[in-house]
Amino acid sequence: MDEQKAVMKNAASSKTLGTALAFAALALLIATVMFWFNLANKVSIPANRTLFIFAFLLAPVLGVASFVMKARWFGSIAAVAAIIGGVFLTATIAISRQQVADNPITVGDTVPYFTAVDDQGDQFVSDVLYGTPTVIKFFRAHW
Amino acid sequence: MIRAKRGVHRLKATMLSDRDLAVTDAFGLRNQAIHSGPIGEDAAEALPVPATLLLDKNGTVLWMDVAENYQRRQGPEVVLAALRAHLD
Repeated sequence: MDEQKAVMKNAASSKTLGTALAFAALALLIATVMFWFNLANKVSIPANRTLFIFAFLLAPVLGVASFVMKARWFGSIAAVAAIIGGVFLTATIAISRQQVADNPITVGDTVPYFTAVDDQGDQFVSDVLYGTPTVIKFFRAHW
Repeated sequence: MIRAKRGVHRLKATMLSDRDLAVTDAFGLRNQAIHSGPIGEDAAEALPVPATLLLDKNGTVLWMDVAENYQRRQGPEVVLAALRAHLD
């Protein structure tokens, strides 16, 4: 009888630990994402993102571990969020490399003639670039 | 929308729209990587590679920076350093 109680108690503490682990996984993921966007705002995401990948992957590992330990149902929600979020964020790093066309413009080239519409709705013709040094920036969306 | 935000960001630069990537293609700066959408498909799916070019008064490229990764690009200090190096 006492033995049975002890086993049940063990199972209960394993569940508690599993639940805690699930929330730890989610907390790790959220903290890492906040740090990531903080750096992104300062345009200073490091060239070497190994630590981020480690954190992004550790979250799903902890999430899975919490399932193995039979976390309680609310812990499972946190675990699933940590697993999906961690895998998704790792994937965004994996596909972030970019490739320009075979013959992009390079130093020493003269810019091609082009026209475009500016934010006032007026036509812009590249001829106006002659006569003064210019900085041209290509970007997408708001960043 | 850009016009509406102009005051908020205190923008003084000329902003040009390149929705069909005509200018981007003229410069050869369309992103060819997978997540940008296949080339030739819906233009809204495709994107330029973030790039900064410094031109002299004859329209010749003095310096340029092309981001090899969309999560990373050069900050303003790099562009300012290039300006000083090439125009002083």
